[in-house]
Amino acid sequence: MEQAVAAFVQEARDLLGGLEDQILELEGGSTPAQIDEVFRTLHTVKGSGAMFGYTDLARFTHCFENAFELVRAGTLAVGPDLIELSLAARDLMVEFLDIGGDGPSSAALLASDRAVGLMGKIDQITGAGATTAASGGAAPTAAKTAIGGPDRRFEIFFRPDIGALRNGMRPELLTRELTSLGMARVTFDVSTVPPLSRLDPGAAHLGWHVSLTSDCGRAAIDDVFIFADEAELTIDEQDIEMAESADTADGAAVETASVSGDSPRKQGGGGAQGNGRASESIRVASSRMDAMMDSLGELVIAQARLDAVSESIGDTTLATVVEEVQRLVTGLRDATLSIRLLPIETVFSKFKRVVRDLAKELGKDVQLLAEGGETEVDKTVIDRIGDPLAHLVRNAIDHGLETSEVRVAAGKSPRGTVRMSARQEGSEVLISVEDNGRGLDREAIRARAIEKGLVDPTADLSENDLYNLIFQPGFSTAVTISSVSGRGVGMDAVRSMIDALGGGVDVVSRPGLGSRITLRLPVTMAIIEGLRVRLGESIYVIPLSTVEECVEISAADMQNGSGRMVLQIRDQMVPYLALDEIFGQPNAGEDIRRIVIVRINGNQIGLVVDDIIGQGQTVIKSLSSYHRDIPGLGGATILGDGRVALILDVATLVRLAKMRGGASLNKAA
Amino acid sequence: MTSQTHPAGDAPHAAYDGYDNLLIFRLEGEAFAVSVKGVHEILDPQSPTIVPNAPRHSPGLINVRGVVVPVFDIRHRLGMGAGTKQATSRMIVFEHEIDGEAGRLAFSADSVEEVHEADLAGLEPIPELGAIWPQACLEGAIRRNGELVVLLNTDVLFSPQGDGDATQTKGA
Repeated sequence: MEQAVAAFVQEARDLLGGLEDQILELEGGSTPAQIDEVFRTLHTVKGSGAMFGYTDLARFTHCFENAFELVRAGTLAVGPDLIELSLAARDLMVEFLDIGGDGPSSAALLASDRAVGLMGKIDQITGAGATTAASGGAAPTAAKTAIGGPDRRFEIFFRPDIGALRNGMRPELLTRELTSLGMARVTFDVSTVPPLSRLDPGAAHLGWHVSLTSDCGRAAIDDVFIFADEAELTIDEQDIEMAESADTADGAAVETASVSGDSPRKQGGGGAQGNGRASESIRVASSRMDAMMDSLGELVIAQARLDAVSESIGDTTLATVVEEVQRLVTGLRDATLSIRLLPIETVFSKFKRVVRDLAKELGKDVQLLAEGGETEVDKTVIDRIGDPLAHLVRNAIDHGLETSEVRVAAGKSPRGTVRMSARQEGSEVLISVEDNGRGLDREAIRARAIEKGLVDPTADLSENDLYNLIFQPGFSTAVTISSVSGRGVGMDAVRSMIDALGGGVDVVSRPGLGSRITLRLPVTMAIIEGLRVRLGESIYVIPLSTVEECVEISAADMQNGSGRMVLQIRDQMVPYLALDEIFGQPNAGEDIRRIVIVRINGNQIGLVVDDIIGQGQTVIKSLSSYHRDIPGLGGATILGDGRVALILDVATLVRLAKMRGGASLNKAA
Repeated sequence: MTSQTHPAGDAPHAAYDGYDNLLIFRLEGEAFAVSVKGVHEILDPQSPTIVPNAPRHSPGLINVRGVVVPVFDIRHRLGMGAGTKQATSRMIVFEHEIDGEAGRLAFSADSVEEVHEADLAGLEPIPELGAIWPQACLEGAIRRNGELVVLLNTDVLFSPQGDGDATQTKGA
């Protein structure tokens, strides 16, 4: 049962996540199918909620379900009020779920001003919809009256599937719901109950006969059994009043009955499909995934060791087997890593609401476009990309986009656009947030940077350098700060989070046309291709995705005494860093050394090492907090011979190089 | 793990009210002890991979069965000079929470002696001036066969911060 409750909570969360989208879609006009979807979602949340000990949630959901029932019946139109209320109600439903079932805090939430206020407002709307049913009764009855006709009798026979009780089904709740619809007489069918010796107390043996006299309409009864897909169920409907005047209404009722009579069957079909899908996809606790990744990482390391051993023995039979194992490990690795990949759509879809609410708050007309939601990214990225993206989206709406008046005056369309897009490029995923607003104010950024002492007033900054300034901690062009987003903190946070994920940020902006900020992230976080280099006695690994080329340099060239740490590569001047100096480790003192040219965030630098050893799979192990903050180190890995090697963090090395470059510039000045 | 038996309180002795198994090892001839609950395994000495620009108390990394484990320089933290590797030297792999993250670290001992069951009610405070070691790293002393064994406070000993304590006490 506990598992069933956990499954309900998970399902309800998914449903409420989807509900937000469904409601937002109604804003642009609604089709009956969409309304049905919303209704069914609400009904599921209510129905399963009551079944699994979330009755307060069910009670709260009830009045919204009613409203959409009215919409479905055509007596209530979808207006902005209803959408607004439904969104607020959805948020509250999530809170009910967070509380975790019935209890004092759940009851308190139900009695809270917010909940009561929402329910009151929705009742007003539904009351207004069903003007003819101006009875003082509660909203549910009003709703029922609105769609119901005269009293009818239903002969219902219901026998749950034999295993239904084990799946958490509670027949007494169904009968209770039925009895609440009208006058009901409930009798048991005990014909299938086995003798005591063969009675399985966990199985469902009983059947129920219910004679119900009600004005509720067939649809309401079908809805009661909406989850009892596998049960044996017959519903016979008999008129008890054959009033002339009821004919038209009756016809309508029959029609609704047949339409919604279909829908449970469709629902059943959907359920079966759902089950089919369930067998195709399973939900796995991420801790288990992590454990699997750890084992895989160790396997890859062990395999590298096996390789090394086999090479030293030089036996061809062994080598064949080792090769075979290598092939299998690579296959297993790719399969496992692909499990961790999720479509970025899951992140994008959350922003519909954010954009809508923010646009409203700021009084701007904004549309959100999302592209490439099917692009797959590592789960770690999905988990952590939300906040940085939220910063960027907020910035785009708050600072980037103008108000409609300003836009029209500038000859643009009154409605601003925020476009989120994702695509894969090699081993990187590019996620962009783009707006067609006013663009970054280069002069303001420059002025602010000079004021903060970040750049020399006479310095000739490239466009890129200028835009990169907005990622400086505490940087903000004061004029543009608002309560919604303080760009200074936000962009700084974005940069550090992307750094932590091993990615980079690009900024493109055109005055008056808008700006685009692109996050570049590795597709996978756990295992990378690495270039192994030697520095003195130590081996370091450089992420291969950052490496552009390797060149040789003679020791004499490095010590030409000019203090210039710049290398000419074709027609480009590339600054370089001597890793032995930065890491305070002696180099091997060889005559010819190598420079690995890396590029990150559009910056190219060279890293001077003693030798290049080779490349290969590198399982990234994070550093403990003793070593995490050391600049230039991104993690550790275990080499084929069992030794530990450090993985370089190219992004911080580049920043280090820039700082040094700045320092030497200052010295020169 | 000691961090479980006493939550880093001001009155460490109060929390020790029963018997505990202690791993006893030697540094510079002195007997030290940690609770055996935190001890993951004891290894022959390994040469660590040096981490450049690392803090002095954790200079390197070793590979313990596929897990990268930081090496902790307990001698530095206790204000002792660098030791030399001896035939009896061992590395003790210790499960420890660092900044709230469960993890392992390894430290060297000149020799590892035994697991000793000790009554922690008999824990004696070490007088302020009685030892050169930073007071905060010490839990107290117990007697074993007429010899003092110093029980270490692993929470303080292995903390990523607090190198200051060691140098301070050394200066005093």
